[in-house]
Amino acid sequence: MATNGVDVAGAVRDTIYRAAIHLDAQKWDDWLELCDEKFHYAIKAFSPEINYDMIYLQGTRKEMQTLIKLLPKHNTDHSPLTRHTTVYTVDVAPDGKSAKAVSSFVIYQNMLDGTNSHIDAGESRLFLVGKYIDTLEVSDGKARFVDREVRLENRRLDKGSHWPL
Amino acid sequence: MPARNHAQWTAKPPLANDEWIDSRIYSDQEIFEQENERIFKKVWVPVCHESELSKPYDFRTMSIANEPIIVCRGPDNQVRAFLNVCPHRGMLIERRPSGSFLEGQPSGNPKRITCMFHAWQFDMKGNCVYVAREKEGYQDRLCKEEVGLRRLRCEVKFGGFVWVTLDDNPAVSLEDWAGKAFTCLQKSLDAEPLEVFHYHKAIINTNYKLWHDTNSEFYHDFMHYHNRVTGFNDAYFARKNEAFEHGHVVVGTFEVNYQNYEGFESRAALSFPHLPPNQWYMIDMFPGYNFNLRGSALRCDIVTPLGPDKVMIEFRGLGLKRDTPEERQTRINHHNSIWGPFGRNLHEDLIGVAGQGTTMRPGTESRRILHGRQENQTIHDENGMRHYYDEWGRWMNIMPNNPDQTWSERSTASAAVAAAE
Ligand code: FES
Ligand SMILES: [Fe+2]
Repeated sequence: MATNGVDVAGAVRDTIYRAAIHLDAQKWDDWLELCDEKFHYAIKAFSPEINYDMIYLQGTRKEMQTLIKLLPKHNTDHSPLTRHTTVYTVDVAPDGKSAKAVSSFVIYQNMLDGTNSHIDAGESRLFLVGKYIDTLEVSDGKARFVDREVRLENRRLDKGSHWPL
Repeated sequence: MPARNHAQWTAKPPLANDEWIDSRIYSDQEIFEQENERIFKKVWVPVCHESELSKPYDFRTMSIANEPIIVCRGPDNQVRAFLNVCPHRGMLIERRPSGSFLEGQPSGNPKRITCMFHAWQFDMKGNCVYVAREKEGYQDRLCKEEVGLRRLRCEVKFGGFVWVTLDDNPAVSLEDWAGKAFTCLQKSLDAEPLEVFHYHKAIINTNYKLWHDTNSEFYHDFMHYHNRVTGFNDAYFARKNEAFEHGHVVVGTFEVNYQNYEGFESRAALSFPHLPPNQWYMIDMFPGYNFNLRGSALRCDIVTPLGPDKVMIEFRGLGLKRDTPEERQTRINHHNSIWGPFGRNLHEDLIGVAGQGTTMRPGTESRRILHGRQENQTIHDENGMRHYYDEWGRWMNIMPNNPDQTWSERSTASAAVAAAE
């Protein structure tokens, strides 16, 4: 959809895919550059076990920035995560200034140092399956995240992760 | 000492008998199978929380020592447990992790536990109430009154957890088993109903005892940046590890300075009832259950051993049932920022035990695992693990530092220290 000559849906897709590349590359600051000051992030999952819609992690842009800043202080599984993301739907608001998008993702973990590296390193394992449910604002032809819900199907998370997904 | 040759590496460490163990107890298939028989089929296990089956006819399924279990709430509000095994041809009766029997199923009626295979039906007390074409097939030789479910001892206790044992005649009552260890938190956990807000599971290639060990020793706070900056002070180093009968250990409290970790806040406003601000108690229950209260959020770990080198750990987080939505949000953040699957500490703990699992796989050489820190039973003293392995040795009739030998009371470390002085 073009608003005043701008392809808003295209800008939204572009931002989501750029985010995927930055997250894959662990370029956290570049990822945050795509996020507005108002940005809110949450990882959620529904548990049939306890019949509860859970929030596994959440934070404002500032809180995510702090979390990222302190990563080097923590012991972490450094096995790279690689996403396959597909934007399914982009619904642009009538004024063309915001949009909601739903994307599907799978995240593979390419084993490095989390388990028995001599045996496992180099192997890719399916890690997470879910959807990104994003709200973005669009101005000057660029889309920025104001909200990202990472909706996981997984409740078996094994070692989990320190990283934004 | 410089790096050691094989004889030195495998020699007995210069520690008392109870201050080290042999890693074969973490890697031996036969010992694992004996643990299921001698320990897990005998002890009280907290299988879930009563808020997970809050309404009549709600149920949850799980397993202990390979035995499938179903827990359900009857119309009389009683929580009961049964083997989740059909008395006809052994089908797993209920396949879902949770749900309600108020709805009918393709093979059966509402308010019944129905086996889908041949449609036998049971009520919430485990009575068999329907056998399809009963008379035609069994004439007078077998009737539904004779094919009830296998009932299990079940109690709701200590903050609303559902405790089950496979043993019809447990050596001690649940109160005697766990009551003293829970004393420190009983007022806080029993003041009002709790509710589970968090669940996830991990399956890790490591022995279940290594997870319990990590929950029982705080020396590993060196691995947690969060705990170092919010904890290490005089009050922290004065925390006591207190041993209780039946192998349980309580780690005493102190005041955590959460605000010392950037972006974190005091938890004082949402303390559990009767708990002073920002206190942190931990109860480690033999053989592998953990109750961990950090001021505003309660965590519970339940292990299900799957092999000598494989364990499932289920993680739960709990708050007060009456929480407002805002309070609940804050509790969830407090819980998950440290203990969630994407929190700061849990990931580190799990990397730790996975690394131990890597060096202690079945087939690896036996290793000496040191439990010899003596610090007047304060926080970095390893008395919690020593106490646990005394209990484990008795249940297993195995010497933890020599699995080929039968159990005999281990020389106490304090005696060894006294002798050395
Ligand atoms: S196996 Fe359950 S009814 Fe036949
Ligand atoms: Fe820890």
